[in-house]
Amino acid sequence: MKRIEAALLAALNIAAPATACTLAASDGVALRQGAVQAAWRTEPAKIVQGEPFVLLLRLCPVGAELRKADATMPEHRHGMNYRPTIRDMGDRRFRVEGLLWHMSGRWEWRFDVRAAAGAPAEVLRASVVLP
Amino acid sequence: MKLLRAALLAGALTGGAAAGAAAAPTLLDFSVEETARIVSFGPWPPAVPRDGANAAEGRAEAVKLGRQLFFDKRLSADGRTACASCHMPARAFQDRLATPARGLRNTPSLLDVAQQRWFGWDGANDSLWAASLAPLAERAEMGPSREGADLVAIAKALAAYQATLVSPRTPFDDFRDALARGNVRAAARYAAAAQRGLRLFIGEGRCSVCHSGPRFSHGEFADIGIPFFTRDGVDPGRHAGLKKLLASPHNRLGPHNDAGAAHDPRAVATSHVLIEHRHFGEFRVPGLRQLVHTAPYMHAGSLPTLTAVVRHYSELDEDRLHTDGERILRPLKLSAAQAADLEAFLRSLSTAAR
Repeated sequence: MKRIEAALLAALNIAAPATACTLAASDGVALRQGAVQAAWRTEPAKIVQGEPFVLLLRLCPVGAELRKADATMPEHRHGMNYRPTIRDMGDRRFRVEGLLWHMSGRWEWRFDVRAAAGAPAEVLRASVVLP
Repeated sequence: MKLLRAALLAGALTGGAAAGAAAAPTLLDFSVEETARIVSFGPWPPAVPRDGANAAEGRAEAVKLGRQLFFDKRLSADGRTACASCHMPARAFQDRLATPARGLRNTPSLLDVAQQRWFGWDGANDSLWAASLAPLAERAEMGPSREGADLVAIAKALAAYQATLVSPRTPFDDFRDALARGNVRAAARYAAAAQRGLRLFIGEGRCSVCHSGPRFSHGEFADIGIPFFTRDGVDPGRHAGLKKLLASPHNRLGPHNDAGAAHDPRAVATSHVLIEHRHFGEFRVPGLRQLVHTAPYMHAGSLPTLTAVVRHYSELDEDRLHTDGERILRPLKLSAAQAADLEAFLRSLSTAAR
């Protein structure tokens, strides 16, 4: 039966896996750039000035990669004093450690991603104001 | 908050006595945002978690031993210098000298030192115990230490004692707590000049961008246009401090961390810290508590008074700033009255001068 379904889908040119990737509200703040969708949240949920925190990022589509994560203060012309590290947790989830925002003000996330290995690079950005 | 402002507008704080109106306590109409910023400078003292990298911290017998060692000149190579020789308890645990005879940098106060992330003007150490070990080994300070001495154990006992050094509450803390409670009458007892200076500090002056939190420091490093030339060349500040930190066997990633780096939440800063050219000439942003008792100021003690510090920021020489450094620094161009207000606020962060 499965073979018949697969043959039918192939004949109809329907790419089932590409529609299987979804992001839940619990994954955090949603972002989109080109073919890549993302959702991010932090641990702890509220970023505290001067305290290390962790970023959890989930990507779509299946096979999407997080290549680099960083945060800067554009108005201040500098970023963090720390270089974050990325751990691939599987299931399109990435854990970014070594984050510390030492100043209040507007911070800008920059996530370098791509939809799949070998796909064009995309950049996702988001602003956060740390009170 | 609306009630508080309404009370102010109604003149409830003046007490209604016409003769005393000029001298009656007043409270500026701090906005919600200003109030939130002010409240973020407390409460004081804050709860400080123990440093798991030093198992001696918080243990009464270690604190007692550390205190004895702190005043013991036998720790030095020549038997003539104790930690307390430069970190004098009666002088807010510093020495009031611009720089010590054999050093290039101002002796920092040890009050509230356990709340720091980085230690020394260049942040060459990431724990209080490692920072306590450094002078025992440095020839320019107390070292080299005696052969065979267990420096790590000594340093951890010294750190256990220093972790107990917390500065007392100040007039600002009473004001901050009153404002947090919405107690207008109590908040209004805070000197009007200090209130105006505080508004400058958190507003136009943008001082609180770096001098934030209960200690009035964000705990990192900055170049504020203070010359870093020394009698022998230059002091690279944080740039060299980072190299020392990462090369040290006594950092949090090393074998002397009692918690183990993997289980020490503070080790994440050491394992991820970044070294860039912009760190050249940066020095640790000091806390501002008990400031009145810790003159002279800056990393080489180059500014003798608080008045000189305020003037430095008022007349900041932008040509001295790092070309790829902090963009928001600019001369404040304060009027004489504004400078006096800012200084009045800074003075309110200390207990009365002895």
